[in-house]
Amino acid sequence: MSLRLSRLTLVLGVLLACASVQAQETAAYFKQNCMSCHTIGGGKLTGPDLKGVTERKDREWLTSFIVNPKAKVDSGDAYALQLLDEARGVVMPTIAGIDAEQAGFLLDLIEAESALEESQFKGIQISNEPFTQKDIDTGLAIFTGRQSLKNGGPACFSCHNAPGVGVLGGGRLDPVKADLTKVYERLQGRTVLSTWLMSPATPTMQSIFKNASLEKDEIYSLVAYFENSAQHGEVGQASAQLTFALFGIVGAALALVLFDVIWNGRFVAVRRPLVDSEKL
Amino acid sequence: MGNYLDYLLFAVLPYVAVGTLLLVSIQRYRSETFTFSSLSSQFLENKKHFWALVPFHYGILVITLGHLAAFLTPRTILLWNSHPLRVAVLEVSALACGILTLIGLFAMVARRASNSKLRVVTSPIDTVLVVMLIVQVALGVWIAVAHPWGSSWFAASLTPYLRSLFTMSPDISYVTSMPLMVKLHIINAFLVVGLFPFTRLVHVLVIPNPYLWRKTQVVRWYRGDNA
Repeated sequence: MSLRLSRLTLVLGVLLACASVQAQETAAYFKQNCMSCHTIGGGKLTGPDLKGVTERKDREWLTSFIVNPKAKVDSGDAYALQLLDEARGVVMPTIAGIDAEQAGFLLDLIEAESALEESQFKGIQISNEPFTQKDIDTGLAIFTGRQSLKNGGPACFSCHNAPGVGVLGGGRLDPVKADLTKVYERLQGRTVLSTWLMSPATPTMQSIFKNASLEKDEIYSLVAYFENSAQHGEVGQASAQLTFALFGIVGAALALVLFDVIWNGRFVAVRRPLVDSEKL
Repeated sequence: MGNYLDYLLFAVLPYVAVGTLLLVSIQRYRSETFTFSSLSSQFLENKKHFWALVPFHYGILVITLGHLAAFLTPRTILLWNSHPLRVAVLEVSALACGILTLIGLFAMVARRASNSKLRVVTSPIDTVLVVMLIVQVALGVWIAVAHPWGSSWFAASLTPYLRSLFTMSPDISYVTSMPLMVKLHIINAFLVVGLFPFTRLVHVLVIPNPYLWRKTQVVRWYRGDNA
């Protein structure tokens, strides 16, 4: 009897462990793929708040929408068109590799999180109080790296440009998305921007920040800095890159002159002076 | 299809390249020991040689050490880069060295193309190698200017990728979303590594380091009538 009980306990333990691993994987999946546009109980971002979504629509419909949102919109489905209208024409992108099973896991997660008083995917709620100059300065220090990120992530400046970072500007890993001067406007304000920073949606940032996510106070300061730069900053000019290239060319030219000076006697015989200076 | 190609280029090619480097280098050293040389042509032409050899070697050494430093100590690089002025100093120096390397390579081509004696001692593999090196360094210079600041994003994104290769668990998510030029730079680097043991680049493995610190020597010719 006790053997049967222990076997049952073992089986239940394994099942619970598997369910827990699945839940963790789905939570990470949600964070990486959904959270830049959706919260659960934190209000509308680009897409709707997903709290209680399984009560608003049946799972079959939701699954088919998650797997291929564009097809649902193209089919003329009334609810899909309503969502499209509410998202101001932004069609939800299809997540690479998603299938009905993964969509089912996502819906299980949303259902479970909706039942909680406060979901972990509520996002960051930043008040509408004006930011202080200290908040803005701290944001700039985080952006340039003068203040290190607590979880070890690289400074924004490595890949992005924004006002106040010096004559040569910031990084431009992706020239189209690199300038963050107006990112506050692009992401329509504090809520979406802070949620985006909490869970970056680009593959490059996801890979870098998957084990080094930003802390809430860091996000707060960065939002303050981006709000200020959107109001007062000028988008970076290509002249910074030209200046950088010219510095490089001048540096190379100086090195060539230096080589010529150091080895100016290079065509004079080597052997004779050595022999002459040898003490016999 | 794109995923398979990325996997092939960033998870398989590196191992093929390093495997080729190790196996062929050992085999060549065992069977053709005296071909481990830069096959210097300085005695055939010495004036233009200086403007090819010196800029190329100083440039490539600094650039290679810079890449190595970002790979071995990424936190140090990121810490150094935590001030815009320091980033500017590092990046301008690196760009200057990249341009020097490119100047050296073009001077090599001009020197060998303009001298009939040198053309005779230039093999097809030399031509392939110099073309690949020009492509590699030109891409590096382009990336430095078009996608700054490489020293930071290399340490943040490419170092984890390279380390994942060393731990035999390649994580290509760090590179698949990189700009095209960066991807080409990485792929060409692996191709150069694979080509390495077939070329005169093997001299890198047998650098006579004691030359750097031993005293200068006067080699006296021995003639029977002096005895």
